[in-house]
Amino acid sequence: MSASWALGQRALREAWRTPEALVPTLFIPLFFLVVNVGQAARIFPSATTEFLEGQGYGAFQLPSSLLLAASFGTAALFLVEDIEGGYFDKLRAAPVPRTAIVAGRLIAELAKGLLIAAVLVLVALPFGITVASGPLGFVLLVVLTALWSVVFTGFMQLIALKTRSAAATNSGGLIFFPLLFLTPNFVPRELLTEPMEVAATFNPVTYVMEALRSLILEDFDWGQILPGFAVVAVLGAAMMALNVRLINHYD
Amino acid sequence: MSSVTDGTGAAAVHAEALVKHFDGRSGVVEAVRGVDLSVDAGEIFGFLGPNGAGKSTTVRMLTTLLSITSGRASVAGVDVAAEPDEARRRIGVALQEAGLDPRQTGRELLILQGRLFGLTPGEAARRAGELLALVELEDAADRRIKGYSGGMKRRLDLASALVHEPEVLFLDEPTTGLDPSSRLTVWDEVRRINARGTTVFLTTQYLEEADQLCDRLAIIDEGRIVRQGTPPQLKAELRERRGLDAEPTLDDVFLDATGRTRGRVAGDVQEVVG
Repeated sequence: MSASWALGQRALREAWRTPEALVPTLFIPLFFLVVNVGQAARIFPSATTEFLEGQGYGAFQLPSSLLLAASFGTAALFLVEDIEGGYFDKLRAAPVPRTAIVAGRLIAELAKGLLIAAVLVLVALPFGITVASGPLGFVLLVVLTALWSVVFTGFMQLIALKTRSAAATNSGGLIFFPLLFLTPNFVPRELLTEPMEVAATFNPVTYVMEALRSLILEDFDWGQILPGFAVVAVLGAAMMALNVRLINHYD
Repeated sequence: MSSVTDGTGAAAVHAEALVKHFDGRSGVVEAVRGVDLSVDAGEIFGFLGPNGAGKSTTVRMLTTLLSITSGRASVAGVDVAAEPDEARRRIGVALQEAGLDPRQTGRELLILQGRLFGLTPGEAARRAGELLALVELEDAADRRIKGYSGGMKRRLDLASALVHEPEVLFLDEPTTGLDPSSRLTVWDEVRRINARGTTVFLTTQYLEEADQLCDRLAIIDEGRIVRQGTPPQLKAELRERRGLDAEPTLDDVFLDATGRTRGRVAGDVQEVVG
């Protein structure tokens, strides 16, 4: 645990010293929030749109922006730099559990995810978006977003470890990107066309999005919230196991 | 010749029939083809060879960074394949590319390295201070590594390999790319480290470096060890075998062992496959 924490501190310093890598993770999701609300808010007026639960369309769109912010995976590019610069070999030559090498970066990703999610929600509040589940709901909203960023980054790290190339890692990330849009992104799942509904049902990101949305629009609905946490738990465990396996077999 | 086993002390590094194959697009590449060697505790052992001869691959197997296709290897008495973590605790590694994180300061890097080897934060900070003094980087300790010169990076890399006082230090081409003054500084560091009892396993392309530093050396070519012994032994053997009038240099030994011909460029041996 102390090795994970020491490596986590190093990754946090790395993030702090490269603020230019953090700016897009805040700016781009806010941009999409504004654009999507601007394009669709008049189609879904809050007074007559049942699924908005009395809030504006921005509240319905906020989870998409949170998930987008949590799906940049920049830490995987730092890992590629470590590999290319030889520092990754230095870590592998140290007697630390391979889980610590993976967890170190993910600890920093969790911290960054908490910060970014909190900032995005706090920026949204003055525009009439409220978190219907209250302060505890706010905490769960931020934590679930941050956990998703850990899972997503972990999968990006798999690409980094496999390809050892920044270009390939960047391109590889685009494979995951459609998953963010095969979701009930603009309307609830039951209003999607049938093929989209089927795709969204099989897409694990859907359950994270629905959990986040539930926390914003409703009081605690555990039937919606728990599947979101279950998805990050299962995918997180798989991601960690695959990362450790790749490092153990890294030649 | 295929082995280096004429030492007298306990083996700090031992390899038997070490083989490494890589699966390439055009088939299997045999990078190392059965290396046997034994390095005594307290020695500075030189491992020489042309580019692509298998030096770095051998070092990476000995330091647990590469899996072993067949054969076995131990460092400080620990089997590197069976007990990799125990082997890692006993060795220090400074690889060909100085493996440093440019965004950290020198002090932060050494403290982190200490923590990874099990030191408490206080112990790691104290050890970092000692090592910064040892490699004369105290003035630059709190500057980011990305601003260091090549020589400073090499010295810091060396310091990071020493943080846990390893029994065996692996240095993979530690002076490649350094100016002559920085090279001499690194040589002094290596001698100082060895004088404190650390066994040094050094790969180099610079024959003068091997001549100056190493107690014994082995020459590897095309994945096999082709010469072994102390520098004077190797020179004497060549002189006798070729019936030379004058004492040959280590360059001559190297060229003879690897079947290359001589051409000098700017003081270094230019290798030409003969």
